[in-house]
Amino acid sequence: MVLVLAIGDLHIPHRAPDLPAKFKQMLVPGKIQHILCVGNLCIEDVHDYLKSLCPDLHFARGEYDEDARYPERKTHDWSIQAWALPWPSVPWSDLDSLAMFQRQLDVDILVTGHTSQFKAYKHEGGVVINPGSATGAHSSITYDANPRFVLLDIDDLRVWVYIYELIDGQVKVDKIATTLPAH
Amino acid sequence: MEAEAPGNGTGDAKAMGKKGVPEWLNSSLWASSSSPPASASTTAAARLPRSPPSPKIVAPARAPIPKPPPPPRPPQPPSEAPRPSVDAPPDDRSPSRLSQEEVSRQFQLLAELSKKVVNIGELRRLASQGIPDGTGIRSIVWKLLLGYLPYEREFWMQELAKKRSQYKAFKEEFLMNPSEMARRLEESVGHKNEALETGGRGFLMRSEITHDEHPLSLGKTSVWNQFFQETEIIEQIERDVKRTHPDMQFFCGDSSLAKSNQEALRHILIIFAKLNPGIRYVQGMNEILAPLFYVLRNDPDQNNAVYAEADAFFCFVELLSGFRDNFCQKLDNSVVGIRYTISKLSELLKKHDGELWRHLEITTKVNPQFYAFRWITLLLTQEFNFVDSLHIWDALLSDPDGPQETLLRVCCAMLILVRKRLLAGDFTSNLKLLQNYPQTNINHLLYVANKLHGSSAG
Repeated sequence: MVLVLAIGDLHIPHRAPDLPAKFKQMLVPGKIQHILCVGNLCIEDVHDYLKSLCPDLHFARGEYDEDARYPERKTHDWSIQAWALPWPSVPWSDLDSLAMFQRQLDVDILVTGHTSQFKAYKHEGGVVINPGSATGAHSSITYDANPRFVLLDIDDLRVWVYIYELIDGQVKVDKIATTLPAH
Repeated sequence: MEAEAPGNGTGDAKAMGKKGVPEWLNSSLWASSSSPPASASTTAAARLPRSPPSPKIVAPARAPIPKPPPPPRPPQPPSEAPRPSVDAPPDDRSPSRLSQEEVSRQFQLLAELSKKVVNIGELRRLASQGIPDGTGIRSIVWKLLLGYLPYEREFWMQELAKKRSQYKAFKEEFLMNPSEMARRLEESVGHKNEALETGGRGFLMRSEITHDEHPLSLGKTSVWNQFFQETEIIEQIERDVKRTHPDMQFFCGDSSLAKSNQEALRHILIIFAKLNPGIRYVQGMNEILAPLFYVLRNDPDQNNAVYAEADAFFCFVELLSGFRDNFCQKLDNSVVGIRYTISKLSELLKKHDGELWRHLEITTKVNPQFYAFRWITLLLTQEFNFVDSLHIWDALLSDPDGPQETLLRVCCAMLILVRKRLLAGDFTSNLKLLQNYPQTNINHLLYVANKLHGSSAG
């Protein structure tokens, strides 16, 4: 049972003041084992806050992130990768291209950011997840402005994707169950 | 220091002769050897168990009153346990070197065990003298003494089957994390999203969750929330299990044997904690479980040894039921709590050896809480080497009055056996001695303890 938080595109403070309070209420230390952050946090404070939730924090830097020391991508043991910026030749919006890209990376779960648009997509090579924006910050690409993040529960090859969404001031939780392809 | 007959008003003491000590005790036969084997540093620097390499001491997590932390117990590594099919660790006394008396006792025990209906009184009597090592019968005898096995042999199989399957159910109920539970649930209702799961492409379908069941749930009834709240206890159990008998390969080390044994201990303690929310887990329970599990796991009959975890669980419950009040902090000051028990020890010493009692508690102010707390709550597992503590447990478990009574008598005997040194010592040296009890001939100790039983009637 491994819990992984996929969160990104906060755009604090430029486009949003802070994470929604109801999210902060739920995100407490001691529960999550890994955090994958797909960039566009924007400031050090946010980084520190996420670090307090879980020491194993991985970043993929977005185009608006200030601090250049965040690495662009990191790899996990159980093959999840986070990509914030689109690879030049891979249109993020084209799912087939994404799938091919993921195949080349040879990872089971690909977490993407940048578009602030939530997505959960499965293909033969694995699963692609875009957790959306945790603050609901507007982006040039999508009008879907609900604050959102994703929590993955990985148990061997079985993955439960819990989607936490703030709608009209209430947190709504959906889940997706899927199985990773065996190697 | 007073040497006259104790004029403390207890009529019993007067009956015991001038010195207030039973005559038979004056024989030098019963005095323990003068100096302990210097196998551990006697620097009383109290080292709390922080890292595995340091000598293990068990300081019960909660001390009812402030007491000086006990210095490390001299590690007496018994030779490590070989493969589970062999019995107790091979010490010097292989079966061929058992004394005549022990051979006879072994014979009688085996005879008793092969009867259709075990005479529990006779079994107790034999066991109280000690179950000879290397005979492989301790496992069965303890199970009978603890009431795990019924006295009628014909019911053994069905009783064992029932209990073992019950334990298996406990494991399923209490040891699964929420992920595994979700998986089980899915399997029981059948996969609904088969088409999307196996191959194929497409957007994954979201489904609503029920009952607020998600990992970050703060709901009181949420299994996730409960799981995270129990993490602390589970971590404590894991820490303690890892430090149980670090000198024994059976319990500690990289071998798969040690790892599987540790896992068994962990399971038992977690399940016990969840089944008993009033008492949960208290540091030290691991030390009480360890000898039980060890003995059961080393049953020469593989059909039994393989179920050692399940059997040990029930035996542990049974054993603890007589002592659980000692672990309950709320009861510390009550009539059944640990303080009362310690005061009973004090009374016992006063009755049988008034001079020693007065010297210890009044003159040198060695309050029994300073040493007896560990003796009593951990059933003397920390005071003697592993093999010796098994012998002591033979006596503890065999007493029909219940283990507590015998335990107090053994503790009292421990004091009496070193009375010469105690009487000559001051607070510091006495405390050091009692917190670091010297190696002793256990047969002598048990004999003395038994004698106290005889003379308690006055």
